[in-house]
Amino acid sequence: MELAQLALAGDESAFGEIVRRYSPRVFSVASRFFRQRSSVEEAAQEVFLKAFTQLKSFEGRGSLEGWLTRIDTNTCLNMIRSAKRRVELSVSDLAEDENRWLDQQVADVGSESQHSVEQTLIAADLADRVLNVLAPEDQLALLMIDGEDASIKEVAEATGWSESNVKVRAFRARKKVREAMEKLLKPRIGGAVRNER
Amino acid sequence: MRDEHIIEILDSGPIHSLSVEQRELVRLHSQTCGDCGGAYQAAMLANTVIKSRTQTVIEPSPFFQTRVLAALRERQVEENVPVLVRLWKSAGALVSSMAVATVALAALSFTVPTLGPTTEQTATAYSAESVLLDQGDDDQVTYEQVLSTIYEDDEAK
Repeated sequence: MELAQLALAGDESAFGEIVRRYSPRVFSVASRFFRQRSSVEEAAQEVFLKAFTQLKSFEGRGSLEGWLTRIDTNTCLNMIRSAKRRVELSVSDLAEDENRWLDQQVADVGSESQHSVEQTLIAADLADRVLNVLAPEDQLALLMIDGEDASIKEVAEATGWSESNVKVRAFRARKKVREAMEKLLKPRIGGAVRNER
Repeated sequence: MRDEHIIEILDSGPIHSLSVEQRELVRLHSQTCGDCGGAYQAAMLANTVIKSRTQTVIEPSPFFQTRVLAALRERQVEENVPVLVRLWKSAGALVSSMAVATVALAALSFTVPTLGPTTEQTATAYSAESVLLDQGDDDQVTYEQVLSTIYEDDEAK
């Protein structure tokens, strides 16, 4: 609060300290939405510039981190809304390594395999494609709850949505992603069954 | 109906947060029902890719703080510039080109009338009389020349 007051009074070094202290958190939130460093940095910079101009509205009732997270989430949602999203995903949209990864997963079904860094990156690319069929708000709810193990309440606090809204968004997103994944797996499972015969 | 119930369980929350009873129910049912088996596998994989997606977090670079403060100063400078100057910055090029075009048009409209006498001279050279009666001296053929041409033709025959 003290830092915020000093920054509001025009103390640039106090604002610099806010940036230094909270930028890891702001970057972490922006990383939910973007995977390219340039996009994350652009979003984070915009968050701090907005925060500086809106410091008057921060009344110190909540934490500065929570307030910045809210600005961060809204800024990233606005940025992602302007990007075009796909309505549907098909097997032909996948890259070769993503197809190989899926084949391997179907073959290793039931086994708890450890993924290498490269495999994790391929899975993350695939996640981006699958998540692209969702509305940005639904993506966020799913990534926070299923990806980061956040509670419904935590998502509601970070976004300003009601808890029931978060529940509905997460349910809808989970269903859509499962269906999209099922569609990608169907030819593989069919092929596996045919091969077994 | 039973199948629907199992798919509903899959979508109700993160797959890893299902209770032991729910997991057992899904596992047993998936063994006998192909559709639910596929849905279960898809839900598991969807959870894996989403977990992978959240594992990558980008850290701020050491220069980020400097960059933000520089951007802030730049924005403050922009805000302190008077409105007219800001307007001129954004529309200056357009206004300048319009002014140049106007001056050029004005200059042309004053210089074009000086070409008038030349046009008049041309008109004098081709007088109405010469055009209508074609009585100019240059290409006139005499009466004798006409007669001699006719008789020359007859003599030739």
